[in-house]
Amino acid sequence: MTAQLETPAPPDAPPRTPHRVPLWANPRVGLVVLLIALVVLFSVLRPAFLNTRLTLTPLQSDISVYLVVGLAQLSVLSLGHMNMAVGRMAATSAFTMGLVHDKLGAGLVLSLIAGLAVGALLGALAGLIISRTGVNSFVVTLAMDFALAGLITILYSGVTGGVAFPAMPAGMSELRSDTFADYCIGDVCGPRVPLVVPFAILAALLVGLLFRLSRLGREILMTGANQRAAELSGIPTKDRIVQAHAVSGLLAALGGFLLAANNGAFSASLGDSFLLPSFLAPVLGGTLLAGGAVSVLGTVLGAALTQVIYKGLNLLQFQLDRLQLYIGLVLLAALSLDRARHVLAERRGNRA
Amino acid sequence: MTLTATQRSTLPGRHLWQAPEFTLAVIAVAGFAALAVATGGNLLSAGTLGAFFRFLAVPIVIGLSQMVVLAVGQMNLSVGALTGFCAMAAAWLMLEAGLPAPLAVLAALLLGLLVGVTNGFLVVLTRINGFIVTLATMTIIQGLRYGVNGPDTFQGYSPGLRAFGRASILGLPAVFLVALAVAALVALFFSRTVPGRHLLASGGSPFAARLSGISNDRSLIVAHGLSGLLAGVAAVLTVAASGSVNATIGDDLLLPSFAAPIIGGVALTGGMVSVTGTLLAAFLVRLVDVMQAQFGINPRWVDLIIGAVVLGAVLLGTVRSKLQERSD
Repeated sequence: MTAQLETPAPPDAPPRTPHRVPLWANPRVGLVVLLIALVVLFSVLRPAFLNTRLTLTPLQSDISVYLVVGLAQLSVLSLGHMNMAVGRMAATSAFTMGLVHDKLGAGLVLSLIAGLAVGALLGALAGLIISRTGVNSFVVTLAMDFALAGLITILYSGVTGGVAFPAMPAGMSELRSDTFADYCIGDVCGPRVPLVVPFAILAALLVGLLFRLSRLGREILMTGANQRAAELSGIPTKDRIVQAHAVSGLLAALGGFLLAANNGAFSASLGDSFLLPSFLAPVLGGTLLAGGAVSVLGTVLGAALTQVIYKGLNLLQFQLDRLQLYIGLVLLAALSLDRARHVLAERRGNRA
Repeated sequence: MTLTATQRSTLPGRHLWQAPEFTLAVIAVAGFAALAVATGGNLLSAGTLGAFFRFLAVPIVIGLSQMVVLAVGQMNLSVGALTGFCAMAAAWLMLEAGLPAPLAVLAALLLGLLVGVTNGFLVVLTRINGFIVTLATMTIIQGLRYGVNGPDTFQGYSPGLRAFGRASILGLPAVFLVALAVAALVALFFSRTVPGRHLLASGGSPFAARLSGISNDRSLIVAHGLSGLLAGVAAVLTVAASGSVNATIGDDLLLPSFAAPIIGGVALTGGMVSVTGTLLAAFLVRLVDVMQAQFGINPRWVDLIIGAVVLGAVLLGTVRSKLQERSD
């Protein structure tokens, strides 16, 4: 599914002839080529990269988590906003899940729903502050990040006396360790795909549908492209800002849940590592920080690319410093290539 | 004083108490007095007061480092990592390469400048948002910072530099005075020099700046370069004041680097800086830190309070400007 969206032209503008972008200039094609090249490179250097049980299955779990986290950031990038509190929203939601299970004895589904609700509420709160005061989203969510970081540790030490809940709802350990290969109907078993993957695919599909087909999603994009124009067209932009941030909080909570499932614990440090990858996946995938356009498929590819790089460099047993160095360099190279391709495509377009 | 390219804040008819910094100054003085009373005068004893100002130096400089890029409407996520990298490089030069302290200090400053200018060139050449570019360079610099000495700590470098870090002049720590001097230079840069005015003009309205013959590209490179240089200054102050450095230096500087200018009233959209506001905000944050240490509060409450203060300060600023618009 290609879920790239462009700002709809204003209704009264003359219909523009669709600008044909050559195939090689499509950023998503470039990402696919880069992804394949890296997988081939890592497989040649370390054949263990293709080992299903040791590498590919955990890799899918990682991609799932960071895809959902990337989508959380994408929901507000659609407005031209940022969510700096994406990690702490995830941690606060995970705390709620643990709390609801630990104190009320709720099961997996109920805990998940409670956590998602808290995430959505936190996001809506951020959106409410941003839309009512007009303060920059970066500042509001940064302050929220500070506040939640303090709150989470206090809550954990107050409720559990430590930094993690001792018990997980039933079913979490299966989410962590099982793949579909463990479930058979007769002789037919599923592929070696971790159980967390469908969550991420479902989230990506829903976000894609939201921004491509639903009125709400289109209006959010309009708000991001030009808030004043959207306001004048009768779109309740303040509500759309609140809703987009609520979606972001909800997805952050889901990302926190998936990471907790992968790690096997609801802990206070959950989500500490979310902030940078949350930007990498959408931005590598071609979503701008300016707002008004999103690319869900690009985010999927961006998340896959970052995790493949991490996994591959890990397998090559790079030291921590080298790992960071090369990730940064690959990142800069990917972004610059994308830019160069864009410029080239524009020049071609002008000449034609 | 808030500085913009068009200098609206110095129009006649504005009183001192209307300046946004005035509120901050009142809060800072009141907070300091309250803390002094609450600790039974302990805060005013020479040792405590010295420590208070000594560890205020780096937050001030790092806040200014972020402020300079905010002036052109950019962000620099690599300030913390760069400070750590320059500090590690300076310590390595003194201990492993055997350079005398002054040369190592100079090298650390140059290194900061160089990395900053590189950031600027990357932003200009790739046309990618500075937030993303510095996100990538931050990762690279973190790797380099770790690469200098791995997980090990550098200590026992130049006694002269250490003595400077502990020295006091007229009861105030020398490193704090250096930070103040740097702040004064930055203020002069923005208020009196041509490149400084160009920076503000580019930040305020790139289009208008270009029509006036100002190179926005040059402004971006100057801003990022200056930001890197200030990160280098912060690194030197860290090396002098702390006595030992390792690869975690700078990890806790990124968020405070934003907190100081934002509480101080600097707009993220660019075109406006406030050196006094940034100084006062860094002072306030330090006040919260000391309060935590004095009363043995869970350090986590500090994050909560700073988060609330940042938001409160920004909300207050919005309310103020709305009220002022109404009264104008």
